[in-house]
Amino acid sequence: MAAVLRFFDAIGRRTARGFDEWGFGAALLIESVIWIFIGRFYRQPVRFTHTFAEMMRFGIGALPIAALLAATIGLMLAIQSLYSLGLFGAQSFAYIGIALSVTREFSPLIMGILIAGRSGSAISARLATMTINQEVDALQVMGINPVRFLVAPMLIALVIMLPCLAMLANLVSIGAAGLYVSVSLDQTFGSYVYQTLKILKTDDVLHGIIKSSFFGLLIGLIGVMNGAGVSGGAEGVGRVTTRSVVQAITAIVVSDMVIGYLSTH
Amino acid sequence: MAVAAQETEIIPKPTLAELQARPVVIEVDHLDWSFGARQVLFDVSMKVHEGEIMVIMGGSGSGKTTLLRHLVGLMPPMTDKVKLLGQDLGSLKALDKLDLKRKIGVAFQFGALFSSMNVAENVKLPLRELAHLDEKTMDIMARLKLEVVNMSGFGHLMPAELSGGMVKRASIARAIVMDPKLIFLDEPSSGLDPVVSSALDDLILRLREAMGISVVVVTHDVESAFKIGDRITVLDRGRIIASEPPEQIRVNPNERVQNLINRRSEHVEVDPEEYLRRLAGD
Repeated sequence: MAAVLRFFDAIGRRTARGFDEWGFGAALLIESVIWIFIGRFYRQPVRFTHTFAEMMRFGIGALPIAALLAATIGLMLAIQSLYSLGLFGAQSFAYIGIALSVTREFSPLIMGILIAGRSGSAISARLATMTINQEVDALQVMGINPVRFLVAPMLIALVIMLPCLAMLANLVSIGAAGLYVSVSLDQTFGSYVYQTLKILKTDDVLHGIIKSSFFGLLIGLIGVMNGAGVSGGAEGVGRVTTRSVVQAITAIVVSDMVIGYLSTH
Repeated sequence: MAVAAQETEIIPKPTLAELQARPVVIEVDHLDWSFGARQVLFDVSMKVHEGEIMVIMGGSGSGKTTLLRHLVGLMPPMTDKVKLLGQDLGSLKALDKLDLKRKIGVAFQFGALFSSMNVAENVKLPLRELAHLDEKTMDIMARLKLEVVNMSGFGHLMPAELSGGMVKRASIARAIVMDPKLIFLDEPSSGLDPVVSSALDDLILRLREAMGISVVVVTHDVESAFKIGDRITVLDRGRIIASEPPEQIRVNPNERVQNLINRRSEHVEVDPEEYLRRLAGD
């Protein structure tokens, strides 16, 4: 009986903690939006220089690895598409699957996972270290709102830069896949690009772009929530960093599935 | 040479009567505080006057850091419990609280300097974010404050390149850069050797003399407390057991006050059975 009670007690505590964390996340989001729009009127604007620095760190700094991953994904899709469609003799239609899956799914998803691992962990570790070193307390006692100073620039940067990376991934993936397909099917690269542009609609690209913006928001909020909730010194920093990456990737994959379902039904 | 001259110089202190004739700048009124079921502050009341150096002393776990966090507004606000510069922290609106915070400075125990900024940028941060001055004026003000704490010429260094004493001094420079009316120093001498610690005490006295600010120092360094304090408030297990000028604290009859200032350990009765029961979680 005691074991059963303990089991339900543990579930109850975890559920309450989950609600608590997501409530905190929602409050962070609302507060950030408020500071972005009204900060200037109270002479506490969200600094463009901070936002730009974060954009460089999260976006431009990730360009080489993002391009490499996108090219690899494009090639993998091309290889698999040609193989599976070859079973029906429909290899010439490979461009359809590649174009739609890259723009609607793979680019936002892979870039989301990349940035969750690269920047989500960095956000979490940075905030956790700042919390432990009392730097966040120092901001508060100086009268500098930490959400305005630290969180809002990160969220803006992620919401802007993740779609940019997804756009880059679209170009690189489709380009890499196009090279492979055109060589394999002995057609010109130009005709592959022409077919791809014909099949793609603005909605398909927008779907991926909006989704990646949402993933950026998720990564930022999860990183900040974990970083701000750190306890237990250096060990705690490691714990929240890992937790932040796992939670962000899970949130991205699950929400991707939900958005995918809702947008096609 | 300059340091030696500073060490021998005696910085005059105002008398208690002089201080008490001045306006109250900090007022704590019957403050209780608990972390869950564990109460850490019991009915704490105190007043600090303009230009006074108040030292809050106590052993580990006595509640002095919690009290300091209440004083600087880092704890959830409670109405009519803590007043700074005549304003009740518990009933202030968020933006008024931000305005009030511009009038106070805090130097944390480990400095809390931003590791991504150099010393000068750290000192300039409140000016940049709150005062909206041009870059040249901010440079001049930061240089002046660094000079006050004997840190001129070190502005380009990153916090990781500083010694413990320099971190504390840079942190004090950042705390005074907005010309506050009140500064709070958390364990300014912890982790420092006696010479650096003594120089820091002189700096605190000099700051009060030059800027006329009120200073609240939280420390467990007895020597430093007696040197700088106009009054010493002794916290013991969350209760104020004495709040007097240093000379009266020396002769205070309370055994726990004497244990603290004479660094005597206390005899603690341990019941082995009770200890084992608690270990087993009963």
